[in-house]
Amino acid sequence: MHKWLAMVRASWLVGTSYRMAMVTSLGSLVVTVIPVYFIARALQPMMAKAIESQGGEYFGFVLIGIITFMFLGLAVNSLPGVIRGSVSSGTLEAYLTTPTRLPTVLAGAVSYDFLWSFARALVLITTGAVLGAHIAWGKSLAAAGILGLIVLAYLPFGIFGAALMLWFRTTGPLPKAVIGLSGFLGGVYYPTHVIPSWLHSVSAALPLTYGLRALRRVLLEGAPLASVATDVGILSGFAVVLCALSTLTFALALRDAKRTGSLAQY
Amino acid sequence: MSATAISTGAAEKNRSDRERDVVVRVDALVKRFAVRRGWKAMLRHPRAKEYATALGGVSFEVARGEFFGLLGENGAGKTTLFKVLASLVTPDAGSVTVHGFDVVRDSERVRRLLAPVIADERSLNWRLSARENLRLFAALHDLRGAARDQRVSELLELTGIADTGDKMVGQFSSGMKQRLLIARALLSRPSVLLLDEPTRSLDPLGARRFREFLREEIVARQGCTVLIATHKAEEALELCNRVAILDKGVVRAAGTPEELSRRIVGERYRLWTLDPSHLALASLETRGVIHVIGRGERDEDGWTPLELEIPGGPRVASEVLAHMASAGVTVSSFERGRLPLAELIERIVESRGKEGARA
Repeated sequence: MHKWLAMVRASWLVGTSYRMAMVTSLGSLVVTVIPVYFIARALQPMMAKAIESQGGEYFGFVLIGIITFMFLGLAVNSLPGVIRGSVSSGTLEAYLTTPTRLPTVLAGAVSYDFLWSFARALVLITTGAVLGAHIAWGKSLAAAGILGLIVLAYLPFGIFGAALMLWFRTTGPLPKAVIGLSGFLGGVYYPTHVIPSWLHSVSAALPLTYGLRALRRVLLEGAPLASVATDVGILSGFAVVLCALSTLTFALALRDAKRTGSLAQY
Repeated sequence: MSATAISTGAAEKNRSDRERDVVVRVDALVKRFAVRRGWKAMLRHPRAKEYATALGGVSFEVARGEFFGLLGENGAGKTTLFKVLASLVTPDAGSVTVHGFDVVRDSERVRRLLAPVIADERSLNWRLSARENLRLFAALHDLRGAARDQRVSELLELTGIADTGDKMVGQFSSGMKQRLLIARALLSRPSVLLLDEPTRSLDPLGARRFREFLREEIVARQGCTVLIATHKAEEALELCNRVAILDKGVVRAAGTPEELSRRIVGERYRLWTLDPSHLALASLETRGVIHVIGRGERDEDGWTPLELEIPGGPRVASEVLAHMASAGVTVSSFERGRLPLAELIERIVESRGKEGARA
């Protein structure tokens, strides 16, 4: 734990050394929410019926979609990014010469980005609430748990990407494909039942479909966890299977990288 | 021989290493890397693989407190050898142990005992201060609390960057960054330190100060065993008790610079004579007793300096001197010199190359 904390602290110090970037990163969120609010208000009459089982209010619906999509992008891109950056700078090699295991190093290296995104999500949702989005604050803990599960279901794509990065020095089209499909068919901007029926099977294969549905019902409608148990169960299944497969793949990639001596070659 | 017998033998060897003073043992180490092939070759023979041998059966031992140099040209296999020692690259065959612990099976233990100094400055976090860089790596080495802060302060002091410890590393000079890299490697109080071309980005004065620091502080005071990979022969000569000459992944020779000089080319002498073309000298050369490798300018008094190599050690050299005196060669001075290490390496590599070609 103290190693993880030390890495998060170091990332925090680096992050705060870019003061301007930090301030604009938070400030831009407020600027982003306002046009979303007006567009959502304009689309409300059109969307109301389609989203009635997920809060019925389009601004809250899309706000939750945007926040979740932000975490999804981070889960898919952060690990390959850390591997790419640390291989080319030589820091990965330096970390691996310590007795700390690679999973701890990687967890420490990406955690700050998640914590920072969490802070950004809080700013977004608070701004949304100020603008009139109905948030069931009492269900925040359950919502955070579901969001955590969504991250766990998508982090394996990041781990697959990291393995590809070790093998081929590129993730190929994997992150873009996962993010693109999830963005279009996972219910970020519109509920999944409005997409063409022939795409329903693709939508059903995406963890985001279940995660977002559960998250919106809990956070926008204040539904109890038991009422979204099926969606949470499927999401957990995705997380467990994908985590196991991706960890195995990454272990193989790391073994190969040590064999081929490519850990510090970009 | 059964697998059990082999593993028992290896365990015995490791135990005896721990009891004796062998700190690093490299035994018949082999490492090959797949060669990157062109598109044409890949399409023609998709399953075929070509390999380049980086290390072709390297063996040597390093004792406690030794300053051991690995000399060789670029591409000789020095960096690969260091990466195997640091458990960053897995060997294909052979074994490497540090204090008796295998670098593959006991890699975590080895990482507590051995620290490579990664010479790449970019491996430091330039947006953090020197102190924060060290704090981070101290945590990764399981140091925490007051013990961590004390060790960090000690090392900043030791490496002479305490005054600038709270300054961002991006503002450091190359020499200061090298010192910080050393400090980082020393965090866990390693007993073995690996230095790969440590002075490559330093100016001559900075390099000399850095070598003094290594000799006086790291070896003499901290008691570290140091392995240094370099292609600068003078650096190895100044620092090392023993050197191994690595060429195309093979140790061509190992020993003290003096031993190598004696073993490979005999010893070098400088002779001042009035008769550089004397028949006795020509006869000794024809018989292969001496090799005249250089002839200097004749001075105002008529003396000519000759650079000689006399294989066979001091006894043969004194016999040569006696023979010259009895044959009437006028000699004013006959003194022993030393073959520059750079030349020695060149000769070793050349001589092994010729042997290989003959074979």
